[in-house]
Amino acid sequence: MLLFLLRRTVGFLATLLAISVIVFAVMNLLPGDPALTVLGIDSTEDARAALRAQMGLDRPAAERFLAWIGGALVGDFGTSWSFGVPVAGLIAERLPLTLSLAASGMVVTLVVALALGMAAAANHRRPGDWAMMLLSQLGIAVPAFWLAILLVLLFAVTLRWLPPGGFPGWGEPAAAASSLILPTISLALVQSAVLARVTRSAALEAMRLDFVRTARATGLSPARILWRHVLPNALAPIVTIVGMQFAGVVTGAIVIENVFYLPGLGRLIFQSIANRDLITVQALVLMFAAIVVAANFLVDVAYVLIDPRLKARAT
Amino acid sequence: MSRPPANLLLGGALVALAALAALVSLVWTPFPHAALDVANKFAPPSAEHWLGTDQLGRDLVSQLMVGAANSLAVALAAVALGGGLGTALGLAASAMGGWVEDLAMRICDLGFAFPALLFAIMLAAAFGPSLANAALAIAFINVPVFARVARGAANQVWVREFVLAGRAAGRSRLALTLDHIVPNVAAAVIVQATIEFAVAILAEAALSYLGLGAQPPSPSWGRMLAEAQTLLWIEPMLAIWPGLAIVVTVLGFGLMGDGLRDLADPRLVRER
Amino acid sequence: MLQATSLSVRLPAGEALRGVDLSLAPGERVGVVGESGSGKSMLGLALMGMTPASARLSGRLTLDGRDMTRARERDWRALRARRIAMIFQEPMAALNPLRRVGTTVMEPLRVRLGLTRAEAGARALALFNEVGLPDPADRLRQYPHELSGGQRQRALIALALACDPAILVADEPTTALDAEVAARIVDLLVRLSRDRGMALVFISHDLAAVARATERLVVLYGGDVVERGEVGAVLADPRHPYTRGLIAARPRPAPRAPGAPRPRLAAIPGSVPPLADLPAGCRFAGRCPVERPECAARRPAPRPTPHGLAACHLLEEGAP
Ligand SMILES: Nc1ncnc2c1ncn2[C@@H]1O[C@H](COP(=O)(O)OP(=O)(O)O)[C@@H](O)[C@H]1O
Ligand SMILES: [Mg+2]
Repeated sequence: MLLFLLRRTVGFLATLLAISVIVFAVMNLLPGDPALTVLGIDSTEDARAALRAQMGLDRPAAERFLAWIGGALVGDFGTSWSFGVPVAGLIAERLPLTLSLAASGMVVTLVVALALGMAAAANHRRPGDWAMMLLSQLGIAVPAFWLAILLVLLFAVTLRWLPPGGFPGWGEPAAAASSLILPTISLALVQSAVLARVTRSAALEAMRLDFVRTARATGLSPARILWRHVLPNALAPIVTIVGMQFAGVVTGAIVIENVFYLPGLGRLIFQSIANRDLITVQALVLMFAAIVVAANFLVDVAYVLIDPRLKARAT
Repeated sequence: MSRPPANLLLGGALVALAALAALVSLVWTPFPHAALDVANKFAPPSAEHWLGTDQLGRDLVSQLMVGAANSLAVALAAVALGGGLGTALGLAASAMGGWVEDLAMRICDLGFAFPALLFAIMLAAAFGPSLANAALAIAFINVPVFARVARGAANQVWVREFVLAGRAAGRSRLALTLDHIVPNVAAAVIVQATIEFAVAILAEAALSYLGLGAQPPSPSWGRMLAEAQTLLWIEPMLAIWPGLAIVVTVLGFGLMGDGLRDLADPRLVRER
Repeated sequence: MLQATSLSVRLPAGEALRGVDLSLAPGERVGVVGESGSGKSMLGLALMGMTPASARLSGRLTLDGRDMTRARERDWRALRARRIAMIFQEPMAALNPLRRVGTTVMEPLRVRLGLTRAEAGARALALFNEVGLPDPADRLRQYPHELSGGQRQRALIALALACDPAILVADEPTTALDAEVAARIVDLLVRLSRDRGMALVFISHDLAAVARATERLVVLYGGDVVERGEVGAVLADPRHPYTRGLIAARPRPAPRAPGAPRPRLAAIPGSVPPLADLPAGCRFAGRCPVERPECAARRPAPRPTPHGLAACHLLEEGAP
């Protein structure tokens, strides 16, 4: 078990390193002159050279990479070109909002998807099942940001129940929470359409297993059999998709923050792109990719926790 | 023999609708899509402007049609490029086997760490936002997807008798790949391509919505929605039509992919 | 206590059980034999109210004097485990692989009988002792994959006994086990039935096991009861050609490797046809060595034999 965790952790760290190389390479080594993009084509070569020196771009790429990654390891992502403050500080300020949004989006996704998927499986080949399949087919085709716009139209513009966007800050918890409701729903519904389908087919698969009949023969209620016996045995494919969906939720949060003008990392990334603040973008892309990889790492570990048979093999 | 599955027919019809709008837009639109007519802004639907006009008096139908062309072009480019590269990579990995295959698949795993949006953000930050960069980013994320599918399908063919016989006869792996492997993985790749078309259209819409795709005045469904969002209080319908266009097209490709998969692998039909 | 009268189970494909009569008194042990596909499991499921959703029941089935023929799932649920319990064919697959067997056995105790965790734990331990699992306290904490085949079967028996049922249906409880373990499981079931005064329906195609375990025998073929009677007498002096074939084909008691094909019945060529292809008259027509022209079309009525009943046209009008 310990050895297994160790191997997975080493693999995880190696992946992180590879990702940082890719991010750095795309942003630094591809043809293109950041100084030119910052200063515009009217600038003089001298001015651009001065800026490059100021940004440290005149040093060799390998040296710059090592400096960057070494800093990142101790939480120093350099100084933002546009804000003039440490990138780490910018991130720390905005991270709670993005993480809250991603976490609440994931939780709602799980609740909705498990409820719908299990209900559909329990009603296999009956109208409820067909309705869920139809609804999810449609849900998969709806872009999250359009759903967000529709929700704003209904709940903010027409009904005026919820704010159309913006964030009052954590100082006002109630207002903060209500400004996260629509973003969370838009983020979750589309994801849950995918997950509900996976849940349904995994549950149908598990329902055919013999021990379900044993459970029925002991007089357990259908609901108990469904949630206590079928669901745990259907969890492996569900967890796989959840891992992938976490990536979807996190990048979805980037989009949704922009729909609702929420000051999180997603907004920061776009402000930085607009400001040609490469060093900030670079740090943020690395962060997001790291979150995605970490989610998949956790999924790998979760398998082993779910299934005692794997635990035996992993030791 | 049997009737094509209903989802394939419905999906095909929806896709045909979008493709027709895109093709016609190349030679004709009711109005030039960017023609301003400020006196006639926010016009309601009429015989002239079927779906009305936007805040600058531009004809909505014309914009949606050109948007369809942009959207499908990006999806086509991205899936063709990413799918072609990925399939080639997967076939090569499967043909070589051993550490080459392992390495190729490890690299693919890395690709999964970058959702399209992140990659597009990197490209936009490095080169500035454009429709071409959006297409490139979507193509990039398609490479590992197709590589996996092609390799998985190819690995199943490499152990079949007719291929083993070819190897015993001393034929090269390239010749065998072209003769036997490619025809046998084509179905899996085509099914995946259809599904990835849907994914690409969603991704393009999101990127254009965020300003990382189509740049003004080139219309795109995503960008139309971004503009419409600021006008929700004035003319909500502007935010409806482009969204519907996306849903119809994505649903079409999704249904078509499901239908094709059912055709290619009838064993799966039972369970879905 | 349990009474099936002319019980039939119709599936979309055909009739899986046709007019089965079966009665059980408290503590009585009945064997059900027949080849694979004769409807033995279907009979067991019917007694549990667990026939497939597509199945239509006719005839009459009463439990404790209550008519259960058209009972709803909810009514059946109240009886399962407490009045009638069943153990299934494959002990490996019949246990939830993600749960400790102790948790599985405690579940009905807690959910159905409302015991506390501690009470249920103590009862589970006692049950494991009763079914002869060594180191029962350790076994409770193990997962199914950590137990041997025989231990799993014992755990399943403990689960079935948890709510103290009056009837236990054991569907081929020994088929997946090697001969020595199988014999011990048979003895265990007999002992439990005696100690608890629990009726036992012992389903098997192992005639030796049935002879050892039961008092009465029911021979099933194609969903029909073709012969019944006192177990030793029927085996010693079978009257139905199918029963004769079964006895003649009795496989040597050699252990069968898991997954190896079931030994064919040497004396009866072929196998039970699928439901849709069963003849309308005597189900055995087509494979019967002493078949007469009318057999396939006309269904033979059960006739008294010296030790019970048999349904064969040859027994009518005083044939030999
Ligand atoms: N769920 C089911 N659906 C359709 N047919 C079934 C089902 N279960 C059993 N059968 C059919 O009913 C007949 C009796 O099966 P079964 O009771 O399992 O036989 P046995 O247990 O004696 O081997 C067989 O022909 C079998 O194919
Ligand atoms: Mg059976």
